[in-house]
Amino acid sequence: MLSKNDIDLYKQFVKTIFKMRYKGSILGFLWVLLKPFFMFLILFVVFSSVSGQVGNLTSQQYAVYLLSGLVIYTFFQEGITWGLNSIMERAGLIVKINFKREIVVISALTMALINFGINLLIIGIIGTVLGVQFSLLGIAYILLIGVVMFLGMYGIAFFTSIWMVYVRDLAHIMELVLQLMFYASAVFFPIEMIPEQYQFIVRYNPIALFIQAVREALINQNIMNVKFVLLSLLLSIILIIIGNKYFKKKILKVAENF
Amino acid sequence: MEKDIAIQVKNVTKEFKVPVKGNKNTLQERFLNPFQKTHYREFIALKNLSFDVKKGEFFSVIGPNGVGKSTLLKIVSGIYVPDEGSVEVNGNLVPFLELGVGFNPELSARENVYLNGTILGLTKKELDKYIDEIFDFAELRDFADMSIKNFSSGMAVRLAFSIAIRVKSDILVLDEVLAVGDAEFQKKCYAYFDSIKGTKSILYVSHALSSVSRYSDRVLWLKEDRTYEIGDPAEILEKYKGSL
Repeated sequence: MLSKNDIDLYKQFVKTIFKMRYKGSILGFLWVLLKPFFMFLILFVVFSSVSGQVGNLTSQQYAVYLLSGLVIYTFFQEGITWGLNSIMERAGLIVKINFKREIVVISALTMALINFGINLLIIGIIGTVLGVQFSLLGIAYILLIGVVMFLGMYGIAFFTSIWMVYVRDLAHIMELVLQLMFYASAVFFPIEMIPEQYQFIVRYNPIALFIQAVREALINQNIMNVKFVLLSLLLSIILIIIGNKYFKKKILKVAENF
Repeated sequence: MEKDIAIQVKNVTKEFKVPVKGNKNTLQERFLNPFQKTHYREFIALKNLSFDVKKGEFFSVIGPNGVGKSTLLKIVSGIYVPDEGSVEVNGNLVPFLELGVGFNPELSARENVYLNGTILGLTKKELDKYIDEIFDFAELRDFADMSIKNFSSGMAVRLAFSIAIRVKSDILVLDEVLAVGDAEFQKKCYAYFDSIKGTKSILYVSHALSSVSRYSDRVLWLKEDRTYEIGDPAEILEKYKGSL
C-alpha cells in the first residue's frame, strides 16, 4: 500500500505545484484570492449594470448566484484540465525513475481541491458582507458536493491522463468542451433566460445540477438534487475503481510513448 | 531466484515501434490520411539478453551508441516493461539515469534537496536529519537558500550527487554518473565508491572505460548485431577496444 515516502512525495508534489504557480509574481499567494474575486467582479458589474436586474434576482441574490456558479465551474475546469495534463507534465520524471504514478494524478487534483477550498472561503467572505444567512446543513451539503466532484474528477483523470499521452489534441478538445460547459451550466445567467426548448441542456448537465444545488443551499437554505448527488457519489466511486485498474495496466507502457 | 543474486535478467527482448513518417500523436494526420495505416519501423533494442548481477558485485555495461544500454537500465529500473523475458530484482533498487531528477530551477537548493530526495525514496524525516551533511558534502552550505537556476552546472550536480549517496538502497543503477564536478569533487566521488565497494550491487553503464576497468568485477559488452559477451573486465575491454 502507501509507504511513508509515498505520502511525503505527494506532499512534495503539491507543495511544488503551489509554489511554482505564484513564483516570481509580486503579489504571490494573494493571486489565489484576487483572481477569482476579480473574475466575479467583472461578471457581476457587466451583468447587473447591463440589465439592471438579472432575471428576477435581486443584485444581492445575483451576486451569490454568480459566485456559486463560478466556484463550482472553476473547480470542474481546473480538476479536469490539471488531471488531464498530470502525467504529460511529469514526463521528464516518469522516464527517469519509478515511483507510484498515481501520486502525480492525485496531486494535480489536490491542487484543484485546495483552490476550491479557498474559493469557498471567498464565498463566505462576500456572502457575509452581503448579509447571506449560511445554514450549517447547507455548508455541509456544499462540502459533500465538493467531495463528490473531487472523486468523480479523480476517476476521470485515470483515463484522460493516459489518453493525453497518445492523443495530444485532447488538451485543445477539452478546452473547447469546458468553454461549452461554461455556457451550458448557466454559470452567470438565470436558467429562465434560456428558451424553454433548450432548458433541458441545463437540466441534464451534471455541473449545472451541482451548481443549482449549491445555489439553493446558499440563497434559500434549501437542500435539493439529493438523489442526483448521491448517485454521482456512487458513480464516482465505481469510476475510481475501474479507472484505477485501467490506469495500473496502461501506465506500464506510457514511459516509452512520450 | 538464488539468494546471492541481486538482479536477474532472463531472455529479455525489447522492441520499439518507431513511426516512419512523423509522429501520429495528433489527430491531424489521422484525419488527413484516414485510410493510411501508420507505418512503423521496428527497432530491436535488446534481443534475448540474459545475465545476473551478484550481490555486492560491480557490473558494468559497455558498447557503442544505440545498442540498448539505456533501454536495459530502464527495464531493470522498472520504467520500461520487457516484451519478452523477465527481470527480477532482489533488494531495494534506486536508478540514477540522471542526477538531480525533478530538480526545479526556480526553487531553492534546500527545497530541491527535499524534492529530489523524496523522489529518490527518502522520507521528510530522514531528509531533515541528512540535510546538513548533504550541504557539507556538496560544499554548498552557504548556497542553501539560493535558487538552483543561479547555480553553475557543476554546483547543481554536486548537490545532486550528495543527495544520491544518502539514498537507502541495496542496488544502484548508474548511467554515466560515477564521478561528477571538478577534479577535487571527483576524488570525493571515487572515494565514496571505493568505500561502498562490495556492500552494494551496482549496475553501471559507461563509455568511460578507465572507470569501468577500475571498479568492475564483470563487464557486459553489448554489440551492434545484438549479440553480447560477459566476462572479466580486462579481457572484455581489450576485445572491445580492438573492435573499435
